[in-house]
Amino acid sequence: MLILNDLPAIHWSVAGAGVAAITLLLLWTTNRRFGISTVYESFCSLVSRLPYFQRSELQGRGRWRLPFAGGLVLGGVLSAVLGGGWRPTWDLGMFDAVIGWGPAGKVAWMFAGGVLIGLGTRIADGCTSGHGIFGLANFERASLVSVLSFMLAGIVATHVVYRAIF
Amino acid sequence: MRENVLFVIYGTVFGVVLSRSGAADYDFIQGMFLFTNLQLYGILAVAVTLTAIGLQVLRRVGRTATGEAIVIKPKTPSRGNVVGGVLFGIGWSITGMCPGPVLVNIGEGKLYALAAFAGVLTGAYLVGWFHEPLRRRLGLA
Repeated sequence: MLILNDLPAIHWSVAGAGVAAITLLLLWTTNRRFGISTVYESFCSLVSRLPYFQRSELQGRGRWRLPFAGGLVLGGVLSAVLGGGWRPTWDLGMFDAVIGWGPAGKVAWMFAGGVLIGLGTRIADGCTSGHGIFGLANFERASLVSVLSFMLAGIVATHVVYRAIF
Repeated sequence: MRENVLFVIYGTVFGVVLSRSGAADYDFIQGMFLFTNLQLYGILAVAVTLTAIGLQVLRRVGRTATGEAIVIKPKTPSRGNVVGGVLFGIGWSITGMCPGPVLVNIGEGKLYALAAFAGVLTGAYLVGWFHEPLRRRLGLA
């Protein structure tokens, strides 16, 4: 059961096929390598003059992630609207059941986790999509090392939070 | 311009898949890391297998739908893969979101995802600010 309107999740094989289809269509129709986390650099490049955010990979053909990111937000809206209705919510599943902090605590928790995602994906040069899907499917060593690192760290972190601390 | 329409469509479809599959769901992510819910492992395995097969086919075809030569640039290995991977893994566990699902969760109306979004932007900005020392120490590309 999803947190979103208590909807049932679609079957994993259907979801996996959907992910592969988008990855392959993106390459076949637009010649772009799938990977999402770089979009946060694209956002930075809109406002920051730092040379790192003004490098050529983020300009021109590299700006494709901005409309793709807009689509991701739209997809979330559409999924909610078509699945029982859209409403703003603080619901956070087992976090509410086990940890039980209110909105202020959740904001701090999520911001801290977000900073780690931003630092980590930039330093590792990719996330679940660029390393986990495309990189692994393309048999790249950097991706195998990255995926093993983030999966192991996630397993340890969740066990520490839900089996040791709370 | 026509390409931008495609990117929005792909992003939207991908967003719906993430939203409805559990990939953008806090409980499914914790269940994956606790091994109490194997849904996400199934998704990853199917996605990687089908993408690997598709990449072989596209390599053989060699051209995109519009006739361009297909270019796939592999990522450069560095010590950052381990260091960054560990930081990202902890962040993924804390938030229950990876970079795509942060945006999907905002769309779904989950207010705390806005805090995660601000955090990811801050982290990315910090890397831009400290890129030179990071590059030297970790051998980043």
